[in-house]
Amino acid sequence: MSDRAEATTRSGPGRLLVAVYALFALAAGARAGVQIGTKFSEAPVAYLLSAVAAVIYVLATVALALGGRTSRRVAVAACSVELLGVLVVGTLSLADASAFPDATVWSGFGRGYGYVPLVLPIVGLVWLWRTSRTDGQASAPTAAKDTAPDTGSTSA
Amino acid sequence: MTNALATVIIVVSLLAAAYSLWSAWRDKAMGVPHLVALGVLEVLLITQAVVGFVKVSGGEGPHSSATFVGYLLAILLIPPAGAGWGLLERSRYGPGVIVVACLAVAIMIVRMQQLWQGTNV
Repeated sequence: MSDRAEATTRSGPGRLLVAVYALFALAAGARAGVQIGTKFSEAPVAYLLSAVAAVIYVLATVALALGGRTSRRVAVAACSVELLGVLVVGTLSLADASAFPDATVWSGFGRGYGYVPLVLPIVGLVWLWRTSRTDGQASAPTAAKDTAPDTGSTSA
Repeated sequence: MTNALATVIIVVSLLAAAYSLWSAWRDKAMGVPHLVALGVLEVLLITQAVVGFVKVSGGEGPHSSATFVGYLLAILLIPPAGAGWGLLERSRYGPGVIVVACLAVAIMIVRMQQLWQGTNV
């Protein structure tokens, strides 16, 4: 409920969001590391998905923590891919269990993690949308014209 | 992994979470008591890591010891990271971060106990 002018993606409630994202980056990263390091041949698709999920969580954590204009775009992309991922993997893991012999963070819509993986990208996108309104007023109104140098990294 | 130590860690982390939640409720920023609580928690977790390593290298513990060791090490990162990130925020959301960190520690300890007991069936 804070309408502070300097509101960025990392301050206020965003601090909590980044903390939860960091936790999931750690959880997914550690899980992928153990799976790929010890038993990759058992279920390569599931384990690669774990690694992809980990990369997306790391991207979202860093982008939300930085909160610049380019970071904001990276964060929107990461949260969108994450939402798509949890919906697709969640559906597939229930429809065709044999394709996922071992669990990923997104299996069963994040059932193993209290469904937080399903809620997190939605909260992230809502938070990005809310803060973009206050940030837009604080900075330049010409948000459409983006002259940031490394926008290539947003095409994740 | 010993049940006594795990129980102590869960109790301490839940108490720290409750205290931090109360701070956030009263609109207070992070202070010394939060840091002390996280420090105690970290010492307990380091003790657990040492005990856990000794037991695992002695042949005890779960079949998937890599996962267990992963938890043993990853959990050490959470109190310092929570402290640093919470201190940057001079509002009620600082203690809020500590609530998240402490609940995560408690959940991870429960998960580690499940992993550990998987072999004792």
